[in-house]
Amino acid sequence: MRKLALICVVMVLAFLPPPLLGEVDSALLQDSVTVDLPEPPAPPGNVTATDNPNDNGRAIRVTWELSADDTTGMKNVIGYRINRAEARDAADSLWTEASDILPSGTTEFIHSGDGEEDGPDYFAKNYDFYYRVHALTADTFSVSAVVGPVQAKDNWYNTGVTFVLLFVALFIILTVTFVRIARKGKELYIRPLAGIEAVDEAIGRATEMGKPTLYILGLGSAADIATIASFAILSRVAKKVAEYQTPLLVPCYEPFVMTVAQDTVRAAYMDAGRPDDYDEDSVYFVTSSQFAYVAGVMGTMIREKPATNFYLGMFHAESLLLAETGAMIGSIQIAGTDQIAQLPFFVVACDYTLIGEELYAASVYLSREPVLLGTIKAQDWAKAVVVGTILAGLLARLLVDLDFIKTVFEVSV
Amino acid sequence: MKRQLPLMLVFLLGAFMIIQYFVPAQASLDAYEFILDWMIIIGIFAMALGIWSLMRVSWHKIKRRSHDWQYAALTLAGLFIMVLFGFEPIGGGLKSYLWLQFYEFVMVPVLATIFSLLAFFMASAAYRAFRARSLLAAVLLGSAMVLMFRVLPLGPLSDPINELAGWILVVPNLAAKRAILIGVGLGMVATSLKVILGIERSYLGRD
Amino acid sequence: MATGNGNRKSPSNAVKIILVIVAVVFLISWISKATTGMADSTWLNIRDGFLITFAAFLTLSIFSFLYNDNPFYKFAEHLYVGVSAAYWMCLGFWSIIVGNFVPHASKTLSTFFKVPFQEYSWFYYVAFAFGVILLMRLLPKAGWIARWPLAVIIGTTAGFNLSRYLHSDFMSQVGNTFQPLFVDWQGAGHFFSNLSLAADGQLVMSAGNWIVVVGVLCGLVYFFFSKEHKGMFGAASRLGIWILMITFGASFGYTVMGRISLLVGRITFLFDDWLSIL
Repeated sequence: MRKLALICVVMVLAFLPPPLLGEVDSALLQDSVTVDLPEPPAPPGNVTATDNPNDNGRAIRVTWELSADDTTGMKNVIGYRINRAEARDAADSLWTEASDILPSGTTEFIHSGDGEEDGPDYFAKNYDFYYRVHALTADTFSVSAVVGPVQAKDNWYNTGVTFVLLFVALFIILTVTFVRIARKGKELYIRPLAGIEAVDEAIGRATEMGKPTLYILGLGSAADIATIASFAILSRVAKKVAEYQTPLLVPCYEPFVMTVAQDTVRAAYMDAGRPDDYDEDSVYFVTSSQFAYVAGVMGTMIREKPATNFYLGMFHAESLLLAETGAMIGSIQIAGTDQIAQLPFFVVACDYTLIGEELYAASVYLSREPVLLGTIKAQDWAKAVVVGTILAGLLARLLVDLDFIKTVFEVSV
Repeated sequence: MKRQLPLMLVFLLGAFMIIQYFVPAQASLDAYEFILDWMIIIGIFAMALGIWSLMRVSWHKIKRRSHDWQYAALTLAGLFIMVLFGFEPIGGGLKSYLWLQFYEFVMVPVLATIFSLLAFFMASAAYRAFRARSLLAAVLLGSAMVLMFRVLPLGPLSDPINELAGWILVVPNLAAKRAILIGVGLGMVATSLKVILGIERSYLGRD
Repeated sequence: MATGNGNRKSPSNAVKIILVIVAVVFLISWISKATTGMADSTWLNIRDGFLITFAAFLTLSIFSFLYNDNPFYKFAEHLYVGVSAAYWMCLGFWSIIVGNFVPHASKTLSTFFKVPFQEYSWFYYVAFAFGVILLMRLLPKAGWIARWPLAVIIGTTAGFNLSRYLHSDFMSQVGNTFQPLFVDWQGAGHFFSNLSLAADGQLVMSAGNWIVVVGVLCGLVYFFFSKEHKGMFGAASRLGIWILMITFGASFGYTVMGRISLLVGRITFLFDDWLSIL
């Protein structure tokens, strides 16, 4: 009962404005609410602040050693907080909070912002900053020594991707080497690819039946690699079509792709010596809406009944809609995409399917130009390097538990 | 000249973008963002060429009174009406009532229905694989069956089928996807390099 | 043949009758929708009844493709193509020209289009100029100049793709293949425990990792172009294609349910939203 009364009194007192509080008997207050000031934890040691590497100069990396009372000693540190100021001896009010409370056990914080000068997260680059770290307990804290000055700087090389650079270099060297070898006239073998060997036969069939050949470049943009590979194939297909004098239909989804396809097909007709046979309306735009495009192409298919359909490029859900419609009207179908999710549908509904990398290689197969054959050889060597590396890496791991090779491929960005 | 300059542009910009990847500095990021904006703006002009092509082909059909020319006229009508709706001073723009109704009651139902045709097409495609009678088709179909049956209530068979389905998704699936991706990654690098070095230039047409 | 040609010129009587029947059915549907509508005014009921009936008509028209090509499908297809082409063009105009270019190009235009002006930047004018150059394609003599913007786009993305795909598709995939072939060896008894495929028993996990590694290697062998697929190499390549087929089948089977639910969605629309009999 007395306890309850005491609590009530304290609560009432707590709500009184300070001047009134002054008149209360100070002895009472001291007895009931004041406790001994808690002892602050050991401050974090060895604080460092450095420019955060591999960035655009908008971040500083702060590290420290755990307070002696974090997990050891008094074990009462609940976290850390980073403060930043523009002068070493700045008054407490000029130190700003650079972080929220970081959980105990943390020894690193990257203080970052952006370049928007009026924004809340502005972080000045090439400007001196000072940092200090607070170790916090439930009711008090300690402060580390101040470190600085430190500046955030633009970095001109990302050291985290050095191995990517090495692979780019390796690949360029391989390509240039094999292109040179190929230029010298050395015969380079490439294995047969069923889908490509069927191209001639398929266009021939269209000629015999007097039906058009349909070429779909997919939904990719002109810049997608699958589309670029498809342009190269289109160029060879169009040349054959021009030679055989069968109609060609190239409905396009992407306007930019359409313009490139028009140039490609026109050039192919010129190469075939039949520039006058090129019909400007044969390469046309349908719409940039996925399913409207599909509806349009399905309609074209069922009306024109093309004898041969090519689906080469980047495809999404429309792959099966197109390929099944083509299968239903009895066309010979050659498909190829690098979209793993769509490959199953092409494999099921088409006569030939170029899987992933085969699509990129297909244009080389059709042209048989030695220079391009050289690039295929370079790709194969890169693959051999991969196979070798995987085997060596696994062996190293199995025998000596060596993880070095694995870390090479774990690129940090 | 007609091909040299574009090839030079391809090389310079390609080389710049390769290097840009390795340079984290602000100037590099800014240049990168600018170039992305460029591509988007240039792309919208291509859209004008696309619409021009659509109108041209439709108009030729109408003019020649070729088979089904009435439908070409319908396409043009749809195109013009929608453009008018989307043009603020006349139709009220992208938030106008008519624009939204056309979207909701013409585009959405047709889109959803075409997408749903896939359910039928998947069935006929599965039947096609079944009829193919080749070993590889059987492997494909078998694994497809396991995945399809995992959702059916098959009594005591349910658990093992579910386990097998999960295992296929985690083990062989992972291996095949990884092999394809490694190949695709290499192929992309090779093709990009061919383009940048001007070895692959069929996309540029002829002089 | 003669009748076939006759059909092309003018629809046969049967087609006319079907057209009339369909028109009547949908007219009745519209009237019934309009009379049973819940909206505040008759006009609103008539309008909403029309919209839902028209959407149902388009839905059924597209489904009719499953039977064969027909005038209804052609109608829905051609209307949709025109409308969607305009849709994306308008969207592109407002979001890119007005949203992206105008705020960097002109204060007057920004005010006209009611978008906040950001800052002048000659870079955007260059982009605009490239866009205009692209339009030169339409001129017979100056078509070649349109290759410049093309070169800009293709060159940029080729460079962009090269290093990024090498990293994401190539290196990280290779890196992830370094799985432990024996998961923390803790003795034979432990190794052979928990043999269910779903559980993460040691044998199952280790075998899985072996299969992944062998699968990746065989898959890569399959993609070798410059070596004949014979002998050991041929066997590995065949194993590779088997694993690819298992994966394709799994992916096929996995997608089926999603597609069926799309169909269910359309059927619900027809029977519930339109016919109100569910």
